[in-house]
Amino acid sequence: MKVRDIMTKDLTSCEKDVSIRELIFIMESAGVPNIPIVDEEDKVIGFISEKDIIRACLPGYFDMLHTASFIPDMNQISKKLDQISSEPVENYMQGDMIVVSEDDDDLQAAEIIIRKNIKNLPVVDKYGRLVGKVRRIDLLRHLL
Amino acid sequence: MIITVTLNPAIDKIYWVDQLKMAQETQDEFLTRARSSDTSAGGKGVNISIFLSRLGVENVAMGFVGGDMGHVVVRDLRDEGVTTNFVWTNGETRTNVIVLERGHEYVPIFINEPGTPVSQEEITRFIRRYKRMLNRATWVILAGSLPLGIDADLYRVLAEMATEAGARVVISASGEALSRGLLASPYIAKPDIRETPVVDGIPLRTSSEIIDAGKKMVGAGTGIIIVSHEVTGDIAISANGVWEILTPEKSTEFKNLVGADDVLLGGVVHMLNKGETLEDALRFGMAAGTLSAESDKKICADITKIEKHMEAISIKKV
Repeated sequence: MKVRDIMTKDLTSCEKDVSIRELIFIMESAGVPNIPIVDEEDKVIGFISEKDIIRACLPGYFDMLHTASFIPDMNQISKKLDQISSEPVENYMQGDMIVVSEDDDDLQAAEIIIRKNIKNLPVVDKYGRLVGKVRRIDLLRHLL
Repeated sequence: MIITVTLNPAIDKIYWVDQLKMAQETQDEFLTRARSSDTSAGGKGVNISIFLSRLGVENVAMGFVGGDMGHVVVRDLRDEGVTTNFVWTNGETRTNVIVLERGHEYVPIFINEPGTPVSQEEITRFIRRYKRMLNRATWVILAGSLPLGIDADLYRVLAEMATEAGARVVISASGEALSRGLLASPYIAKPDIRETPVVDGIPLRTSSEIIDAGKKMVGAGTGIIIVSHEVTGDIAISANGVWEILTPEKSTEFKNLVGADDVLLGGVVHMLNKGETLEDALRFGMAAGTLSAESDKKICADITKIEKHMEAISIKKV
């Protein structure tokens, strides 16, 4: 089966100059954990997830910690989030984007989702323009 | 790619009742129990998107959605195979209630909510997204009422942007939004005269009034005007002539008129998009719209039935 046969045809996305605050609003309203970033021609140029934003609010030494108990308190994270909320998503997006083509096989999409541990994968047409996304649930629904 | 724009979509909540008890003598009798009900995504552009998708035509639905009802609209469209590209707003997508009383289904009772206001920031966000989509558009259908807070000039702006991008524009609206939209010389305009049969102060009650007004609109730059004159008949006006399109059914045979008008317009666009003649497009649209109205379901897109029913539609050049 091709990716186009299993994908969710949703084009929820944002531009790289959209603020983090607006991005959070879009993610929460649309109920999506991550969003592709597109240019003025709708070509996918990046990707940003809730995880990227949370990570941006954590102290730089977080990766070296074995437990979160060393993080002073949530107020600091909240303060940091407030600081970055007017910054553009461009500052925190993943530029090395992972996408799949609508003509690819579903197995290819499944492999990327599993290997990269991502909840959904942007799908592009032959021009690199966003045409949908493959969610984990799309794979499960079609396997059943 | 066909793009439909529904700036004020809705949830259509249809109730089928045996008898609508209103203004009865005792309080107890105000209770009306529904025999059955249906909840689905609605709004003119949304209905057209669903119809096109059922015909296997790829299309993208755009507009504003919000809250839990917004999720219902988006989910319904996706389940129908429509590509969704909505801007999320702070408000809640409206709900329209339709009551169909047994034996009087051809006179549906509509209670339409106005919808929640849309902010300037949300409009800006939409226009930016719309501009991106125009790169892929061959047709843009601007349909339905405008939400509160939106300038009546928006359809004109969106229509001009689409024309500049090389797309054919269709406007299905009423009032000031339509009047302003006509200034952008759309390819097709379908005045919605359910509430007020007037466009730009010109009455559209009789055939001759519709034809006169239509000719003026065509003279001012609109390609084709389609007006639902009676439930069973439409009038189309273009620079090449005037047509009366009639279906043989009696209006009393209709079971669910919700969205039938949108199906008609969707059918016309579908056929013109395929390169068919205007007469065939009108015949197809009327056949599809009539079958939808005859069916309990909101939108009927059975291509075999539509093509068969086309033979029963009469088109007369006036």
